[in-house]
Amino acid sequence: MTKLQAKNIVKHFDHNGNSIVALDGVNLNVEEGDFICIVGPSGCGKSTFLNIVAGLEKPDSGEILLNGKPISDPGPDRTMVFQEGALFPWLKVIDNVEFGLKMAGIPKEQRREISHRYLDMMQLTKFADSYTYQLSTGMKQRVAIARALAMDPEILLMDEPFAALDSQTRDLLLVELQLIWERTKKTIIFVTHNISESVILGNKVEVFKNRPSKIKKEIIIDYRRPRLAEDENLQKYYHQILDELKSEVIARTKDEIQ
Amino acid sequence: MTKNIPLKKSRGSIEDAANAALLISTFIGVWQIVFMLGIWPKISLPSPAMVAETFAKIILNGSLEQSIGITLARLLGAFAISITLGTLIGFVMIKFKGFGKTLNSFSAGLLSFPSIAWVPFSILLIGFDEFGIMFVVVMSSIFSIMISTYSSIRNIPPIYVDAARNMGAHGVSLFRHVTIPAATPSLIIGLRQAWSFAWHAIIGAEILMSIVGLGHILSVGREFLDMSQVIASMITIFAIGLLVDRFILNKLEDKIRKKWGLDNHR
Repeated sequence: MTKLQAKNIVKHFDHNGNSIVALDGVNLNVEEGDFICIVGPSGCGKSTFLNIVAGLEKPDSGEILLNGKPISDPGPDRTMVFQEGALFPWLKVIDNVEFGLKMAGIPKEQRREISHRYLDMMQLTKFADSYTYQLSTGMKQRVAIARALAMDPEILLMDEPFAALDSQTRDLLLVELQLIWERTKKTIIFVTHNISESVILGNKVEVFKNRPSKIKKEIIIDYRRPRLAEDENLQKYYHQILDELKSEVIARTKDEIQ
Repeated sequence: MTKNIPLKKSRGSIEDAANAALLISTFIGVWQIVFMLGIWPKISLPSPAMVAETFAKIILNGSLEQSIGITLARLLGAFAISITLGTLIGFVMIKFKGFGKTLNSFSAGLLSFPSIAWVPFSILLIGFDEFGIMFVVVMSSIFSIMISTYSSIRNIPPIYVDAARNMGAHGVSLFRHVTIPAATPSLIIGLRQAWSFAWHAIIGAEILMSIVGLGHILSVGREFLDMSQVIASMITIFAIGLLVDRFILNKLEDKIRKKWGLDNHR
């Protein structure tokens, strides 16, 4: 069943008075339970696309359909895990996880129960009453994932959530995220510039073209899970994506020099 | 490790108290020496003991307590008005961006406007009464509150707002649960500044406009050539300013900064 559909999404930006085309007709079909990874050269508009799906930005034309219905505003049915720094420093870990539930008007006891369940899943139970500055970057991202999952969204959006992590923590979270995906059967859209991340996580990898962006190629990765970073068999997918991306990165660099 | 922290803290506060005591006794000592050198006549520069005597006198006859009470009541009343109105205007400035930007520049000009310069205006507009004094205090502190509200909210990292909207917060709930708490550490700094402006203003206004209050006993001291009373009033004004800033506003700011993780904890 089609969960989410992006139809011909176009987005311009103003840059020093010039209009730059960031997205030039992005079309994407996301099936229920898909784990979609979007890779592309930096600045290609993949985060912009995710923000549009989240409803935080509006497209100039085109539309996003969720379960067949068009959406335009942000909503708890599409929760986002941001790159970093999006936890609220004035709230304890557990209150951060409960924030969306509170906004949805869910009673306190039920909120506690739900948030404890997700803190438990992310192995954060011990830190429920800590403030976020007391956590490491990896733990903060785990809280962010728990917070997004606690809303029980239709789709989980992830915008380079592991970019700021050290490689050991990232490898660990890459495995954890696959387990969570299998356990919760969530539909996930995951944006990254890191090819191996996309190969490990995605069952479909969408390669974005350099600006003006659209989807250049979809690569299906049908391989057992949990996938590990060091798995040799993933190399062929890695190279397949790398080949697609190489020319885009070169084009991007040329843009930047000129 | 956790056991060491309170120990270290109490040692720190004992040290602070010792340093303060040393500073105060040095000051009194120098004062006493200058007094004994007889450079100025007694009437112009009394000894510390004479000032202490005056302190005892005005405390015993109740005039000091009464003055402190009246001054603080005026100040708190005016400061409450300032906070309420200033915050509301700050919110309006955020809501209407063009208006906010213009008003922000004007307020910045009025921020450096001397509080005493409001006195003649206030006397002619309102009169020599409580409201006239409070008007001066409000005008001296409200711009600081307005500017701080405006800039604190404008400087909130957009990611907090994005994250909150993403989780379904909007309108009043977004404002209450994200905008206000995110702006709080910066709002407190504005509050401290406004308090210090208000304190300057009330003493100035009372010297010129009042028949009771701390500023008034200061000015009575001058009229009766009673330097002891002038110095005693000054010490009282200094002490209250210090106590409020150190033990209320600074504590509050520290607490909030700590909770937000803005201080270095190691």
